[in-house]
Amino acid sequence: MKILKQKWVTLPILWVVILAIWQFAAIIYGPEVIAGPIDTMKGAAELLEDGSLLTYIGISFYRVFVGWVLGSLIAIPIGLVVGKVKVIRVFVEPVLNFVRFIPPIAFITLFLVWFGIGEQSKIALITYATLFIVIINTLTGVLAVEEDKIRAAKSMGASEWQILVHVIIPASMPYIFTGVRLAMGTSFMAIVGAEMIAANEGIGYLIWNSRLFFRTDWIFVGLISLGLMGFITDRVVEWFGRKVLYRYGVIGSKAN
Amino acid sequence: MSQAPQFDTNTIKIEQLYKSYDTPKKGEVHYIIKDVNLTIRGGEFFVLLGPSGCGKSTLLNMIAGFVSKTSGRLKVGSSEVDKPGQDRAVVFQQADSSLFSWLNVRQNVEFGLKMKKVPKAEREKVSDRYISMVGLSGHENKYPRELSGGMKQRVQLARVLANDAAILLMDEPFGALDAMTRKTMQKELSNIWRETNKTVIFVTHDIHEALLLGQRIGVMSKGPSSQITDIYDVPLSYPRDFTSVEFNDVYKKIQSHFDE
Ligand SMILES: Nc1ncnc2c1ncn2[C@@H]1O[C@H](COP(=O)(O)OP(=O)(O)OP(=O)(O)O)[C@@H](O)[C@H]1O
Ligand SMILES: [Mg+2]
Repeated sequence: MKILKQKWVTLPILWVVILAIWQFAAIIYGPEVIAGPIDTMKGAAELLEDGSLLTYIGISFYRVFVGWVLGSLIAIPIGLVVGKVKVIRVFVEPVLNFVRFIPPIAFITLFLVWFGIGEQSKIALITYATLFIVIINTLTGVLAVEEDKIRAAKSMGASEWQILVHVIIPASMPYIFTGVRLAMGTSFMAIVGAEMIAANEGIGYLIWNSRLFFRTDWIFVGLISLGLMGFITDRVVEWFGRKVLYRYGVIGSKAN
Repeated sequence: MSQAPQFDTNTIKIEQLYKSYDTPKKGEVHYIIKDVNLTIRGGEFFVLLGPSGCGKSTLLNMIAGFVSKTSGRLKVGSSEVDKPGQDRAVVFQQADSSLFSWLNVRQNVEFGLKMKKVPKAEREKVSDRYISMVGLSGHENKYPRELSGGMKQRVQLARVLANDAAILLMDEPFGALDAMTRKTMQKELSNIWRETNKTVIFVTHDIHEALLLGQRIGVMSKGPSSQITDIYDVPLSYPRDFTSVEFNDVYKKIQSHFDE
């Protein structure tokens, strides 16, 4: 059965099995409860035709991307400073360890009050979702930099700033990257929650709203879109890490 | 000025040096190093020899400026050591933790020059010279993870040489290498030292290694409260022949010191 070890054999088999189970379940429970693969495809075609699916994907993705980039840009310097300066760390670490247990979704209502119903509140939410994961990973990375590297740099006349730029940042790159990559996952979770509660566009909105029309097939389209969006972005981020950050010891992995 | 050449910039003078890692509070203080007195001349190859845990690394790290002394005096040239400086380069025991893994061989060697903003062309000239001196020509573009243990220590050596410190501090740099590589590295280090006129302080717990390399060997007693109990002059010429009768005589003398 050597042939079963080949990816091009196992993958199609896997998909056929999944589709079969899916279709079977749809027949048993009826299309109002579970939309089968064919219904879902028809639903997708509808949503593609009026352009709403791509718009929603685009909007959700835009929110995630902006918030994620913003969050990372804020979090990395904070993580570096907190990791490097012990006096600050003593104060900040307990706060971090408290706040990070509050899931982003829990902040939605508050952010609506603070930032209004528009784009700002959603982007703020994603920024928040990104912030703590990236801070904590960066901080861990800084603390993991070997003392010998810093000592070597000092003995070669590097200033504190040069040590930060030329030793600490490159040495903690694998940790920073892991944080940024994980944050992408939580960002997707957060955006769907936000769009369900307060949005009139986006994939979360699609999933939430389809319920009103009893369009289970559209809900399925939304779920599958989310899976694909997450999968593709993670692939891209992973590829970037493997190709661009390889020399920093960032190793790509397919598993999350 | 010139009548006191022994006080040139790379002379190391240690007087009544004490070190304790205890936090200062009431009660007994446990000294790791107690009352160490030592003068190392510029250009000298000095070996610190002692049993494991006696405080060799501690003493070396104090000279490097990584670890603060508890009391006493520690001068390099005319100034008291209180922080790391470019006059004292360090070759660490673990190449993996001290080399910059994200930089290739050449970039590692040029690190200090780059920090000093030396122009690229000049950096390359210097790195070429020392990469070839340590026998790594042709490996310039490799990353540390692509090198053997011996090659990594060569990179460390080239890196400190390129930075042109007068003093090299080496903490068991060949301890993790296999016997054959170690032998080659010892020979090459000895050659490089004679070629470059550096002051070297070399830490080891291997008498054989100490005798192959050192002009003088400072023997440290077992810790805690370790001291430099004896300093042996090694009256043998370089390159040293470890099969010779003279070599074995000195070897036995030092060995008997530890047997007591
Ligand atoms: N940072 C530290 N804090 C507390 N104690 C320390 C510290 N570093 C070293 N010591 C203690 O100081 C003593 C001497 O350590 P040191 O590393 O200088 O020994 P060594 O002679 O280099 O040993 P080895 O040959 O095994 O490397 C040991 O008892 C060790 O436990
Ligand atoms: Mg040691």
